[in-house]
Amino acid sequence: MSEKTLTRRTFLEAGAGLAAGAAVLGAAGVAGTAGAALDPQVAHAWGGPVVTTAHSLCNACSSKCGFTAYVRNGEIDTVLGDEGHPYAKGKLCARGYGYLQIATSEDRLTEPLKKNDKGVFEPISWDQAYAEIAEKVQAIIAADGPEALAMVQDPRPSGKYYTKRFMNALGSANVYTHGAACNLSKEAGFTQVIGTGNYSSDVASSKMTMFIGRSYADAIRPSSVSALQKAHERGARIVLVDPRCNNSIAFADEWVPINPGTDLALLLGMSHVLVTRGLYDAAYVAENAVGFEEWAASLATCTPAWAEGITGIPAATIERLAVEFADAAPAASIEPSWRGAFGCAYENSGETARAVCLFNTLLGCWNQKGGALFTPSVSVGKLDEAKFPSVPKPAAKILGSEEYPLSLSNMGSNVYAAQMAHSGVIKGMFFYNSNMAAGYSNTAFLAEALSRLDLMVVVDVQMSETAQLADYVLPECSYLERLELPEFIGGKVPCVTLRDKVIERVHPETRSCDEIFSELARACGVGEYFDFTVEELADAQLKTVGLSLETLREAGGTASFPDAAFEYGKTPKWKTPAGKIQFTSEACAAAGLSPYPVWVEPAVMPDEAAGTLRLVGGKQAHMSHTQTANIADLMQITKDYDLDRVWLSADVAQRWGIADGDEVLVSNECHEGRVRVKVTQRVNPTTLFMPSHYGCSSPEQRTAYGVGLCQMDFVPFRIEPGYGGICSQEALVTVKKVGA
Amino acid sequence: MARYGMLIDTKKCIGCYACRVACQRLNDLLPDENFIRFEEREEGVYPSVAVEHVPLQCMHCEDAPCAAVCPTGAAHIGADGIVAVDQGRCIGCLYCMAACPYQVRVRNSETGAVDKCRFCVVTAHESGTQTCNCVDACLTDARIFGDLDDPGSEISRAIAETHAVPIVADLTKTKVFYVR
Amino acid sequence: MTFEPIWDVIIACYLFLAGLGGGAFITSAFLRWRHPEAVNMIRIGRVIAPVTVMIGLVLLMFDATAGLQNPLRFALLLTNFGSVMTWGVVFLGAFMVVSLVAAALDLTHRRVPLPLDLAGAALGLCVAVYTGCLLGVCKTFPLWNNAMLPILFLVSAVSTGMAAVLAVAIIKHPEEFNRVGVLKKFHFCLPIIELVLVASLLFITANTASVAGWNSVMQLVAGDYVLAFWFLFVLVGLVGPTALETWLLFFSPREFEESRRAHWISFASDAGVLVGGFVLRLLVLVAALPVTMTVPWL
Repeated sequence: MSEKTLTRRTFLEAGAGLAAGAAVLGAAGVAGTAGAALDPQVAHAWGGPVVTTAHSLCNACSSKCGFTAYVRNGEIDTVLGDEGHPYAKGKLCARGYGYLQIATSEDRLTEPLKKNDKGVFEPISWDQAYAEIAEKVQAIIAADGPEALAMVQDPRPSGKYYTKRFMNALGSANVYTHGAACNLSKEAGFTQVIGTGNYSSDVASSKMTMFIGRSYADAIRPSSVSALQKAHERGARIVLVDPRCNNSIAFADEWVPINPGTDLALLLGMSHVLVTRGLYDAAYVAENAVGFEEWAASLATCTPAWAEGITGIPAATIERLAVEFADAAPAASIEPSWRGAFGCAYENSGETARAVCLFNTLLGCWNQKGGALFTPSVSVGKLDEAKFPSVPKPAAKILGSEEYPLSLSNMGSNVYAAQMAHSGVIKGMFFYNSNMAAGYSNTAFLAEALSRLDLMVVVDVQMSETAQLADYVLPECSYLERLELPEFIGGKVPCVTLRDKVIERVHPETRSCDEIFSELARACGVGEYFDFTVEELADAQLKTVGLSLETLREAGGTASFPDAAFEYGKTPKWKTPAGKIQFTSEACAAAGLSPYPVWVEPAVMPDEAAGTLRLVGGKQAHMSHTQTANIADLMQITKDYDLDRVWLSADVAQRWGIADGDEVLVSNECHEGRVRVKVTQRVNPTTLFMPSHYGCSSPEQRTAYGVGLCQMDFVPFRIEPGYGGICSQEALVTVKKVGA
Repeated sequence: MARYGMLIDTKKCIGCYACRVACQRLNDLLPDENFIRFEEREEGVYPSVAVEHVPLQCMHCEDAPCAAVCPTGAAHIGADGIVAVDQGRCIGCLYCMAACPYQVRVRNSETGAVDKCRFCVVTAHESGTQTCNCVDACLTDARIFGDLDDPGSEISRAIAETHAVPIVADLTKTKVFYVR
Repeated sequence: MTFEPIWDVIIACYLFLAGLGGGAFITSAFLRWRHPEAVNMIRIGRVIAPVTVMIGLVLLMFDATAGLQNPLRFALLLTNFGSVMTWGVVFLGAFMVVSLVAAALDLTHRRVPLPLDLAGAALGLCVAVYTGCLLGVCKTFPLWNNAMLPILFLVSAVSTGMAAVLAVAIIKHPEEFNRVGVLKKFHFCLPIIELVLVASLLFITANTASVAGWNSVMQLVAGDYVLAFWFLFVLVGLVGPTALETWLLFFSPREFEESRRAHWISFASDAGVLVGGFVLRLLVLVAALPVTMTVPWL
C-alpha cells in the first residue's frame, strides 16, 4: 500500500507542476501494515502545498470500504481504496469516487428547517429545533407513552449506536433499521435454521457457488468482485439464478433465468434431487440437524418437473444443478445473498431463506473450505459505567414483534411501524440516514402514514423524499466531515475500522449525528446518558479490544485481530432453540407457517393472458438505492447510457410491437408513469426490470429529480406474514407503447 | 523512450464504471466530461446470452487523425507518442472530434476546448511511475499500462500471451489493445 | 450510448453559406464570360459572395467556443498545413479578400480586372471543394469518407450560388434575368447531376464495410430523417426545380417564359434549390454515424 500511495501521491503533486523528490519514495518506510498515512510534513518538505491524508470509510453503500483521502487546501484531491481494509482491498467502486461530491453538493441541507403552517420549510436555530422537538416528544410520552415514538435508521457506525441509545433513553424499544426493506426476511429465515442471520460463502475457494438474485458486479464490494473473479479463474462453477442476466455473468458459467418469486420452488426441487437420490451428506445432517425426516417426506412431491412448472427452469437443468452441487460438496454453497431475491421481496422470502440454509446443510458445507462459513467478529467489551452508563432496557418490546414474530428484534419491521403511524398508534418518528418514503414500500401509503404523525424529524444531508415529509429537518455534516465510532467487521480475520474526519465542515451549521442525538437527548431530559464526546466513546470502545483511537489511526484506520482468525472445519455452535440446524422450526409453526419450508406462492403472479409482468427492481454498479442519484458524476453515467430504462424481454417486446428505446407507459393499480425501454435478451419474459435508483420526486435534489421511475410508486403496501418484510417485488404492471 | 500503451481485457470487464469515475475524480474533470466510453454488446438469444462491455478511450494512435486535422496544433502527438491536447491552443472547432474514429474525445462544457484520455501523462512523465488512474481503479485488473517497446514489460508479455489486438484491425495504428 | 452529432445547424449553415458564396462568385465569372451585358447580375454575384461567406465565418467562430473565449487562439489556425481546415482558412481568407475587392470595385463602378475574377472563381471553387473535403477526410463517418462528397458539395455550391444570383435578379433586374439563357440552362443541369451524385454517394456509403454506412443511409432514406431527405432535399431541392425549369425552358412558350408569373415560378425553383442545398448539408452532418459507435463491429 505504502509504495502505491506514494507513487500516486507523486502523481498528484506532479499534477501541480511540481517535481517529485526521490526522497519521498524513501519515506515509504513509515508505512504500517494495513495502510499508511503520508506524513503531512513529508508532503510539505516535498515543496508542494500541504497535503494531508486521512483514513476513513466510504458511505456510498453499506460496505463502508476503507480509503485514504488526500486533502489539499481543505479540499479532497482524491481517495484511494485502502489495501488493508477487508472489503476495499485497495480498490473503490464508482460510487466510492463519485459520492465524495456529496460534501460540496449544492443540494446539501445547510441549516435546521421547520415546516410552517403553509407546509413550507423555514430555517430555525438548532436550539429552537431541539426545544420544540423535545417539547413534542415529552407531550407524546406523557399522552401515549414512549412506545408511541419510533426511530428508523440505516445503520452507520455512529448512527446505530446513538439512535438506539437515544430511543432507549426515552424508554422506547422502537428502533427500526432499513432491514425490512433490505435483508430482514433473509436474516430472519436464516436465523430459524442456523441460529444466526448471516454466513459468508467461501466463493474464491469454492468448486461451485450459486447466487440467487445477488450480483457482486452490480452491487459492488471490491473484495467480493475479486473473490468471484478468483473463483472463475480457478475454474469454479458459478451459477447465477436471476430473472435478469446481471453483470456478474462476466465471471459466471451459467445464467438460470428463473421466473421471479419462484426461487423457493427451485430450492425444493434441487433438494428433492439430493434427498431422493441420496446425494446429500446424511452423516452431517444426522449429527447436526433436527427435523430432517419431516422435511424430506414433504419433498416427495417437489420433483424437478413440478419445479419446472413454477420456475420456468427445465427439470433437466434443476437435476443437473443439484448433481453438480453434490459433486462439488462440501466446497460448494448457495451464496447468502443480501437484498437480492429474498431479502424482502416476496411473501415467500423468509421461507426461501430457510430453504437456502437447508440446502447448504444437505451439502454439509458449513465451515468447510469453499463452502459456507461463519466467520468470527470482535465486539466492544464492557465500558466504564460511570462515564458511559447503560441505558435501562425499555419495558415494552419493539412494536411488531408480536405481529411479526419471526422478524429480528435488532431490525424490526419498519413498514409495520409505518402502518402503526397510519393507524395512529405511533405518534412521533425520527429518521436517520433513511429515505423510507421513497424506498421502503408504496410511496403514497407511506406519505399518508407519515403525514399523520404528530412529530416527524429527519436527519439527513440532502432533501430526501422522507425529509420533504418531515416537520423538522436537521442537517447532518457529510461522512467526510465527521469522526464516527469504530466499525467492527467480521471475517476470516476480524478487524476494526474507523470513519474519521477528512475535511472541515463545509457548512458550519451542520452537525454530526453524535452531536445531534446527544443534544436532542439533553433537550429531552435524558442527557445523563450522553455525557461524553464521540472521541471519548470511540477511544473507550477501542481500549476494550486493546487499541485506542490513536493506535487505530496510526495503523491506517484498519486494525485486524489475527488471534481471532477463522479456522476451517470447526462445527459452529448452533444458536437455535434446538441447539442444532432446524429443518423444522417451532417458531415458524407458531407464526402460522409450515414447520419446515414448503412451497409458498408469491402474493401475486404475472398472467400472460392479462399481459401483466412482475416488476422487479435491482441495482446498478454506479448507484446505491436512491442515495446516490443526486451525485452529478454518477447520474451523468445514467444519462449518458440511458440507464433509467426498464428492461423488457425481446420476445415480449416483439409481440407487443415495442422497439428498443421506445417510450412506454408502465401502469398498475398504484401508479403509472412513462419511461423508455431497453429491449433485451437478458431478462425473463415474465419480468419488467426497473433499476431501483430513480424517480426522485424531491425537486431540491436537482440532479436526480425527474429522472426515470420510482419502483416503489408501483409496489402495493404489503407485509410478509411472519417475517415483516416489505414484499418489494409483489407488484404486477402492464406496459404499453406510448402513442400506440 | 518508452512507447506507452494499454491493454484492456473485455473478458474481465464488468461494466462497473469505476475507471470512468476514478479518471474523472483524479483528473479533475466535469461530470459530463469523461474520457472513457462504454459499448455494451449482447449476443445470443434468451436464455443463452453473452454480454460484453467494451471500454473505449483515446487509442493514442501513432497516425492520430485528431492531430492530423487539428488546425491549430492543439491536438498533437508528444515526443513520447502520447497523443495530447494543448488546452491553451484549442479553439473548440471540434474537427478532431469528428475525425476520431473511436469517438472518445469530449468537449469541456466550461472552456469549450476538447480533451481526452491523457494516459495520465503526468504520472508517466514526471514521477517515473507507469500507471494510469483507470488501471489502478479497475476492480478486476482488466487493464494493463506500460511500455510497448520493452519486450519484458507486463503489457508486452500480456499482449503476446493473449493475442490482444486493436479494437478495429486497421483503422489507425493504435496503442490500446483489446482481449475479446 | 446514443450518438449526438458533433456538428449540426450552425456548421450546416457555415458549409452552406461558404459554398453558396463561392458558387455566387463563380456565377459572376461565368456571366462575365457568357453574358457580359448582364452587369447587374454580375454585381449581384460579387456582392453575395463576400457577404454570405462572412456570415458563415462569423457563425463558425461562434461555434468554436474555446476560440471565442480566447480570440487570440484563432491566430494559431495557420499552424498545421496538414489540416484541411487550415487550407480552408487560407482559401476562405484569400477568397474574402478577392471577393471584397471585386465587390468594392464593382460597386464603385470601376472595372474589375479579369485576373481578379479568375482568381476569385478559382478560390470560390476551392472553398466549395474544401467544404466537402473537410468532412471527407474523417474516417469516422462512412457517409463522409469518400471522394463523392466533395464533388457533390461543389456541384451543390455552384447550384446554390447560381440560384441565389438568379433569385435576386428576378426581384431586382428581371430584364437581365430574361437574357441569361446559357446560365439558366447550365443551372438547370446541376440538380440533375446532384441527383446522380447523391444516389452514388448513398449506394457507396451503404456498402462500406462498416454497418455505420448502411445505418447512416437508412436514417436518411427510411429512418429519422426520412421526411427531410425525401421531401425537403429530393423533392423541394432537386426534383421540383428540375421539373419546373424543364417546363419553363423547354415546354412553355417564350412569351410565358418572360412573363412575371414565370419569373415567380423560377424564383420558387431557385428558392427550392437553396432549401435543398442547406438541407443537404444538414442531413450529411446529422445522419452520419461513426464506425465505432454502432455495435456490430465490436
